[in-house]
Amino acid sequence: MLLAFGNFTADPSVNLQLLIGGLALGAIYAVVALGFVLVYKSTDVLNLAHGEFLMLGAYFALTFLISENLNFFLGVFVLLLVMLVFGLLVHYGIMRRMVGQGFFAIVLITLGIATIIRALLLIFYGPTERARLDLLPQGSFEVGGATVRYVDLIIFGVVAACVLLFFLFFKYTRLGLHMRAVADDIEAAAAMGIDPDKVYAMTWAAAMVMAGVGGLLFGHVTGAIDRSIEAIGLRAFPAAVVGGLTSLGGSIVGGLVVGVIEQFANGHLGTKWREPVAFSVMFVVLLVRPTGLWGRKDVERV
Amino acid sequence: MSSDGLDLRIEDLTVVYGGVTALDNVNITVPPGGFVTVLGANGAGKTTLVRSITSLLYLHKGRVRRGDITLGGESILGKKSPDIVKAGVAQVPEGRKLFPNLTVKENLLCGAASRSDVDAIDDSLEQNLELFPQLRPLLNQTAGLLSGGEQQMVAVGRALMSDPALLICDELSLGLAPKIVHRLFELLTEINERRGTSILVIEQNASLALQHAADAYVLELGRVLIEGTADELRGNPMVQELYLGGGGEAHTSYAAIERPSRRPEAHGRRPPVSES
Repeated sequence: MLLAFGNFTADPSVNLQLLIGGLALGAIYAVVALGFVLVYKSTDVLNLAHGEFLMLGAYFALTFLISENLNFFLGVFVLLLVMLVFGLLVHYGIMRRMVGQGFFAIVLITLGIATIIRALLLIFYGPTERARLDLLPQGSFEVGGATVRYVDLIIFGVVAACVLLFFLFFKYTRLGLHMRAVADDIEAAAAMGIDPDKVYAMTWAAAMVMAGVGGLLFGHVTGAIDRSIEAIGLRAFPAAVVGGLTSLGGSIVGGLVVGVIEQFANGHLGTKWREPVAFSVMFVVLLVRPTGLWGRKDVERV
Repeated sequence: MSSDGLDLRIEDLTVVYGGVTALDNVNITVPPGGFVTVLGANGAGKTTLVRSITSLLYLHKGRVRRGDITLGGESILGKKSPDIVKAGVAQVPEGRKLFPNLTVKENLLCGAASRSDVDAIDDSLEQNLELFPQLRPLLNQTAGLLSGGEQQMVAVGRALMSDPALLICDELSLGLAPKIVHRLFELLTEINERRGTSILVIEQNASLALQHAADAYVLELGRVLIEGTADELRGNPMVQELYLGGGGEAHTSYAAIERPSRRPEAHGRRPPVSES
């Protein structure tokens, strides 16, 4: 009965292909989820504009790497720098005034930011869709009957490097320590002389830079760059929730798991099943473990 | 190396949350190198007092309507909390408020957020471990998993990491075994005498606080009801009745005093109020 939905196959090379595609897609979800979780964990804000942040990154990549035709590394540097400035702008211009306000008021503000970004991109870039980026090496190689694209491999490597960098930053730098302290207890952190305002600003900047990386990567694998790619934000949401909204490591694993599951649903059941299956996984995880696979309630003995 | 104690002056302080007055015209002074306690039941305004000094009212939508707070003669009212820590005020918050997912060492290092001299921070860490030798083997433990007593030591140690001129302890005794509380108060006295750090202790455990402090205030429904030396307060019939669990003849005189309608309820480890 269920077989009627799609073409199940036990062919190992097909499944390997789906796995590889899933991991590449999952790596992008992971990088989106990472930025999302970073903001949620540090500032308690459910940022519904994160998909738009990523779209901003993709459009800026168009500007600096294609239109301005900057050297690749210089272009990436400028891109990330501009994203950082935008992150600071989001904090000092908007979010800072919202500290202490109700959770949903702030969620609505992020929806407002999303709308503004979409409008600005329409004004400055126009409605026409652009070709996807092609700055990373094209081509592919074969493994066990499956095709591995260089782009996917690079995406995977870049995401892994970002994750490692994040881990080292949080574990070994003073600012990283202060960010974790604010995430644990903002009032206690403020009482110790840590400035939550600065920590929040750095969080938004870091999330925006991550979105810049995500936009640059996603710009290479999306069909075309237009204002519909913000949907990646919504698609990465199950990844963040499955991993646990408070766990940076969990968001990575969540991203990979959801990416692979989506690809298998896509390959075996058909494209229309991608999102329903991804969200079903999210529901199941939430039913069994409300804090996500790796999310945790604070360790606290009372 | 340690800062000398600075004097704290709270003058005519009135604090409101929305339309509700939490502190009403409060005057409290901690002399340089002094040891002062503020007593009061739940809801007396003790924690609001701490938040006012450390500029954390904004997190609770409270604001100072009137009055001033000075440290070493300089107003600290309206300064941001990091600047107040820099000026020399450290606090052990009510309920300890450790960073539960951070290790003990990371918790302690967070206490030094206002300082940048790495060597001096290391010195402070070492001093702390001499003060609390129990913490040395626990440095890499997750703080949230420690026992209550250990957590309170980390909380005191964390506050000391900023090398404060004034140390504020909010409800140090809450939820801890009497033996541990005694030991912590002895350590406070030691810090006060050896380093000259001014100390302000906010407490429900009146008998213990009055043993160690030199001066004391009783806060009731946002007002200073009684003030004096610790000895004077120990001898005050109303304090005996309300906070020391005394009774006897104090009762008759006490009954004549017009008192706030909201009596402190018997709480946890505080000696029960005798009703006979």
